[in-house]
Amino acid sequence: MSSDRLKGLILPALAVLAFEIWLRAFPIASDALAPPSAAVMALAQGLADGSVLLATRDTLLGAIIGLGIGSSIGLLLGVLTGLLPPLDRLLEVSIESIRPIPSVALLPIGLMVFGFGYALEFSIVAKTCLFATLILTRSAVRGVEPRLMEVARALRLSPFARVTKIVLPAALPQIFVAFRLAAGAALIVAVTVEITINPQGLGHAMMTAQQALRPDVMLGYLLWIGIVGFLWNAALLLAQRHLFGRAAVSEAMR
Amino acid sequence: MTPLAQISWRIASFAFAASLVVAWQLVANAQLISPIFLPGPDRAWAALVNGFTDRGLGGKLVGTLRHMTFGWLAASIAAIALGSLIGSSRRARIYVAPSLEFLRPLPVSAIIPVAIALYGLSEGMAIFVIAFGTLWPMLLATIQGYAGVEPRLLEVARALNLSRLETVTKISLPSAMPDILAGMRVSLTVALILSVVCEIVAGLDGLGQWILISARMFRSPDLFAGVILLGAVGYLAAAIIAEVERRLLAWRKTH
Amino acid sequence: MTDSAMNSAGRQSLYEFRDVGLTLGGKLILNGIEITVRKGEILCIVGASGCGKTTLLRLAGGLYRPSQGSVLFDGAPMTMPRQDVAIIFQDYGRALLPWRTATGNVALALEAAKVPAAERKGRIEASLAKVGLADHADKYPTEMSGGMQQRLQIARCLAQEPQALLMDEPFGALDAMTRQSLQDETLALHADSGATIIFVTHDLEEAIYLGDRVIGLLPHPGRVGIEIDVHLPRPRSQLATREEPEFLRLRRELFDFIEKSEGHR
Repeated sequence: MSSDRLKGLILPALAVLAFEIWLRAFPIASDALAPPSAAVMALAQGLADGSVLLATRDTLLGAIIGLGIGSSIGLLLGVLTGLLPPLDRLLEVSIESIRPIPSVALLPIGLMVFGFGYALEFSIVAKTCLFATLILTRSAVRGVEPRLMEVARALRLSPFARVTKIVLPAALPQIFVAFRLAAGAALIVAVTVEITINPQGLGHAMMTAQQALRPDVMLGYLLWIGIVGFLWNAALLLAQRHLFGRAAVSEAMR
Repeated sequence: MTPLAQISWRIASFAFAASLVVAWQLVANAQLISPIFLPGPDRAWAALVNGFTDRGLGGKLVGTLRHMTFGWLAASIAAIALGSLIGSSRRARIYVAPSLEFLRPLPVSAIIPVAIALYGLSEGMAIFVIAFGTLWPMLLATIQGYAGVEPRLLEVARALNLSRLETVTKISLPSAMPDILAGMRVSLTVALILSVVCEIVAGLDGLGQWILISARMFRSPDLFAGVILLGAVGYLAAAIIAEVERRLLAWRKTH
Repeated sequence: MTDSAMNSAGRQSLYEFRDVGLTLGGKLILNGIEITVRKGEILCIVGASGCGKTTLLRLAGGLYRPSQGSVLFDGAPMTMPRQDVAIIFQDYGRALLPWRTATGNVALALEAAKVPAAERKGRIEASLAKVGLADHADKYPTEMSGGMQQRLQIARCLAQEPQALLMDEPFGALDAMTRQSLQDETLALHADSGATIIFVTHDLEEAIYLGDRVIGLLPHPGRVGIEIDVHLPRPRSQLATREEPEFLRLRRELFDFIEKSEGHR
């Protein structure tokens, strides 16, 4: 297995090496691109002077708060529509007509209402997370073993107790999957908002570096965004594995 | 549920959505929110109609559709071809799949500055970004589809003496089709998002540029018209690919 | 025996296993296998689980090559799968293409054999009719019962017009009623086509009921432990044949053999 892991590293290593040699040998495109070694140096410098960490804080704050707002509303609506089919049928047309609007299309509206800053980022991230959580939570709640619901009825549990003692615990692994996917999207949307309009965070730092003709800094940020994205995802997967075991993870991959 | 009950619920659901629109109209009429930010549905609709008749909104729509479909189609073809090559060899999968898994959580929009550095603020930049951003999910889905081919079917192929090419076209590719189509569905949404982003960033002819300019000039009815149109594009794109999936994967229905 | 003398005089051999051994992943699976399969006979192979019966069938199908000795088909070494040797797998649900209808699944065998398109339709219909699926030609496998799916797999194999049919516990996953009717259909197909059948099963009664001969394998490593000729009249019948004293005697003999071989390990 570990030899397979190593084999997986060969391709990226070769790509980086080829890129490095190419740009060292033909430095024509030097104000558009920089060799990987220069990007790593620029990233190291940015980390040392704190500018990269500051931008990371802004991006993560945007992603986390937006995720918090969006997924709480999505969770509430998802549980309600999952439990109450009449409500679900009533809301269906409304939900299905708002859901396909790409989040970034709401950027200009957010811009008019909130101006630049955190609030703009929260609102767009929240819209994405709301629908991702809503849809998956609803199907998780609907997927609760019918026998369990019969047990709940047989035990004459109150509607509230049914939700807290049966439905939520039973659907929890799947709901966490929903949360994990929403969280993945949150980071992507936060960076996208910054690249598109919002002058803060990692996305904006990258755009600034490009405009300042500093390809080394730009690629350093790209590398850093890749690392942050990878760690963010890995942490969520780890949490899921820790909380719900391997079964839930592999199921989520399907 | 009886058909009658189903239709009644559908009507009720539309009625509820309509009541939200009415509420929106009432809020706008009462000017609870400044009309600069929130036009009523009447003004948004008028701007939509007017946009198509007088102001070239149709051209912007075509621009967005062009960007997303060109980039997405190019990526689809590349992903299926490349994915088939990599996917049908277990050894190639071992070398390539980890790199793709690493790329998956990368926010693809982060490639935009790099693409601008390479191609400038051009349409080519947008199509590159869209193709790049949609390639990875589809490639990964294709490879996963190939990895999931039932080993017994490959044995049947061997027992029937099928050639390597026949095994791919008759066994592996159809078997991977559900995964491939799922990847294409997800990627189409990504393509729309990236089109809008590129149009905003680079000022390219498209709905992204339309909504940004409308917002900058505080013409909220135009802005809402653009957003509604983008919602419609998203809805139709999803509906079309769902229909394609339904047709191609009719065999999956179980009884 | 007069019968075997007649066989060696009247019927040629189709398969010859000559001192065949197979090692997979460093483990000796089969050793010193000497079997001759006569043209047109039904040879059944039984044995405790892990004795390598399925592996033996895969050797006959050309899916494996022997590590030692040789497998001869019609006098020539079997190095790869052949058009005129068809394999019927136990897990019919996995061996059919779920995205093709019954017709499409049978067509696969003809496409593989490069049969011209014009000729295919008639052969597909004939194959489906032989297994009683003529009315279900447009159904997908997921719309069929287990018995129908296995019939479909048999139809696909018949379309190959095989000299040899290799059947790997084909009815093991089916219910008793369906199994019995498929056994009788297999006998009818055999009488009709004259193909040679190697039939692997763990069901001793099934082996005696179908076979001209039954070979019992011993495990660890798999080797031939017993070989019996079945002198039961054909056509056979589910009730009468199974009540014959000869049937009961053979059943006892095989049963004792399996019990002893399981004690071996």
